[in-house]
Amino acid sequence: MKKLSLLLTIGLLVALFAIPAMAQDDMGLPDWMEHTECTEDLSGMEFTLWHIGDLSGPYAPITQPLVAAFEDAAQWYNEHGGICGATLSFPDPTTIDTGGDQEQTSVIYSRVSSEQPLAIVLYSSDDAELLRDQVAEDQIPVLISAGSIEGLYGGEEDNFDNPGWSFATNPLYVDQLGFFCEWAAENIEDPVIGYISWPSAFGRAAFTPEVIAYCAEQGVEFVETPEYFAPGSDISGQVQNLVDAGANILYTNSLATGPAEIAATVANLGLSDEVTLAGVNWVLDTSVGFLGQTALGADGLPAVNGLLGSMPFAWWTETDLPGVQLLTEQADRNERGPLTRNIAYILGWQTVDLYYEVIVQTGNRVGFENMTGADVKETLENLQFSPLGMVELDFTDGNRDAKMNRIAVLRYLGENGGPAELPDNPPVVVEGPNGPVLVPIVVPLTDYGETPDLRPGQMEMEE
Amino acid sequence: MTQSNRSLQRAGTWLFYAIVALLLFLWLQPLAAQKSGNTIIQRTIGGVMLGSIYAIMALGIVVINKASGVFNFAHGAMMMIAGYMFFSFFNTQAISLVAAGLLAFSTVVLGFTMGGWRELFIPQRLITALIIGIILTLMMTSGGTEQRWLHALTGAVTGAVLIGLLVERLTIRPLIGQPIFAAVMVTLALNEVIRGITTLIWGSQPKSLLIFAEPHPFLPDQFVRIQTPITIEPTGLLGFLEGPVNIDQPRFMAFLLALATFALFWFFFRFTNIGLAMRATSENQQLAQSVGLRVRVILAITWAIATVMAGVAGLFYAGSSAASSIDTNFHFVILRAFPAVLLGGLESIGGALVGGLIIGLSEEWAKLLFTGDVAENLAPYIVLMIVLILRPEGLFGEKRIERI
Repeated sequence: MKKLSLLLTIGLLVALFAIPAMAQDDMGLPDWMEHTECTEDLSGMEFTLWHIGDLSGPYAPITQPLVAAFEDAAQWYNEHGGICGATLSFPDPTTIDTGGDQEQTSVIYSRVSSEQPLAIVLYSSDDAELLRDQVAEDQIPVLISAGSIEGLYGGEEDNFDNPGWSFATNPLYVDQLGFFCEWAAENIEDPVIGYISWPSAFGRAAFTPEVIAYCAEQGVEFVETPEYFAPGSDISGQVQNLVDAGANILYTNSLATGPAEIAATVANLGLSDEVTLAGVNWVLDTSVGFLGQTALGADGLPAVNGLLGSMPFAWWTETDLPGVQLLTEQADRNERGPLTRNIAYILGWQTVDLYYEVIVQTGNRVGFENMTGADVKETLENLQFSPLGMVELDFTDGNRDAKMNRIAVLRYLGENGGPAELPDNPPVVVEGPNGPVLVPIVVPLTDYGETPDLRPGQMEMEE
Repeated sequence: MTQSNRSLQRAGTWLFYAIVALLLFLWLQPLAAQKSGNTIIQRTIGGVMLGSIYAIMALGIVVINKASGVFNFAHGAMMMIAGYMFFSFFNTQAISLVAAGLLAFSTVVLGFTMGGWRELFIPQRLITALIIGIILTLMMTSGGTEQRWLHALTGAVTGAVLIGLLVERLTIRPLIGQPIFAAVMVTLALNEVIRGITTLIWGSQPKSLLIFAEPHPFLPDQFVRIQTPITIEPTGLLGFLEGPVNIDQPRFMAFLLALATFALFWFFFRFTNIGLAMRATSENQQLAQSVGLRVRVILAITWAIATVMAGVAGLFYAGSSAASSIDTNFHFVILRAFPAVLLGGLESIGGALVGGLIIGLSEEWAKLLFTGDVAENLAPYIVLMIVLILRPEGLFGEKRIERI
């Protein structure tokens, strides 16, 4: 009887230790994530990833899903052990909404910086430029999806070559346009680009003398003067001006309603057959696909069908990638609608995964208790990492942005699979939150390739 | 200063203006010469069509200013919220009877108590209010999606009237007798409050406002913007055209509707009792009261009508734009109507029309002649500045003489 009691006690003790250990194992991150192992157990601690941005202004269609991604990612990472046992949290989104107003950005930043965050997330180039000096002074690294030269590398006074505290997970907008020129030179006859964008730092970011010179080298010309438009305004005059000046490609650094409006205007003016539409990575966003459904192009499909853009990361349709599988699974689990499954949702998850890796690496190196923003920056500066296996990042050698890119096209899913084409493959219709919708898809046209570095002074141009 | 000196000075001023105008012409003429005749005609037509919508926006501001002396900075936000209400009623498959009833009866109750709460207890009025409330509720809810136009129009107009009445009752009426500046400041605050409420209810995503639309070829029960342009061929009297001129159909429809709306309101102010009473009140509130006009009621009606006008302008503008959508930044469009109001004259209904058209034209011509967005944004204000220098009261405004 004594032996039996002893055996039972030992068994119970083993179970007491083994079950949590096994459970811990199950709760850990999946192997394919390839994160650095933690050297400490941080149970009881909390890491807050602060973010500041426009949730109710022009960026709302893409940034609302970003918040959804943060919520879903926080839930998933915390269920899988958090950051070395510490809880990952985000601020209440209503307290960090700038509404696209830069004064608000400054005010909110003052409040957030007083919390001494290890890193913050910014949404827009305008904010990154505005806060560039401030974050350097406060020693707070910034994670951002994409950025302007001034935001990431400084302005003229820095010779555009002073890597700051902001780190982007997409290529620079100028580099994206340069990369597009390489593609256009080979695929469009006598390409002439008319640049039409929003009148913001983001909108103006890609139109630089270096881009124009680089594209000319590739055989792509530009209409000399760009056109800018306020969101929601009538832009038929601007489009007509560019086409009259010889443009057969309209390139835009705008998002959501911006590309949809340009496509609709081109269709309204009967120019669909004469003009190819293209733009920055944001033009391929789901929001453009949905917002663009209300105007048809010459082919009978929505006018945004065929919109070309940069796609430097994996897309929802690339389901063979475990990162995409995870995002799809979590979006399903949290009942995220088709509007939420956009670029920002992907970038939100990637940012969280990047933050996780950076915090672990930094903590392992300097200790978690006294870790500072400067330590995190040092980690970022030496980082080569692929968040969720969906984008390649290499911030070594003073890089502040991603360097790999590819060109893709926005299409609609056809009933027979693949992109819709009339009359043989009509588009699929599914039920959306406000009624039936077509399903936008992104089809890569090229493999990943390195973008040119079109920061001033970085590339030798032919005379 | 002698009479001859004054004449000399005036002549000098006009000479200066003439030289400036000449220089302006010499600067712009070569730029215009680079454009084809057809492009100029197309943009001019575009400017007139756009201007007609600005005119409706301006008219709403003028009406309030005439009646109460208040310059309504919340007009843009009123445009926006009415547009959102239209969206909701247009796109909701089954409108809640309770919500529609609440909206209808709130509006009716406020409408019937414009002169005071006691008016609701007069049996005859109470019964009328009940009947109107029931009719409105049924108009907003009866039938399926095939009745969406009726639902949306009734819902948006009822909602706009409710907002106008609420604004007047809660914010403007308590300020009667206070400095006008206080009421103007209140409208600035209202602008922010309405924006906040709109974002709270409808979120920040753009909402589709396809009112100039045809059935979507793929999406059942959905619409797509009318794409086929109206083409003017270079034949007959129009043989001078270099080629066909295309006019955007939704914009043209909005233009016609805007003109019809303008004519309707002009008729209302000129020939209806309530319109005439509003004009009388705007001239002199105390005098109007002394001849038996109920100033408080008239003020309330003015705000309700102005909000409806704001909604109509918002629908025409957003609905006919290329994107055919509305978002929470929509209220900024009103910045284009402000110069139209000042240009035409703060008290002039006709001035609102002329001011709107001038601003629309200056904006389109600026787009035509200059690339970039700077000229487009500046042009209305430069035109405004020039007109105000020459005629400080606006083109049709009343010259005020202060006796000291």
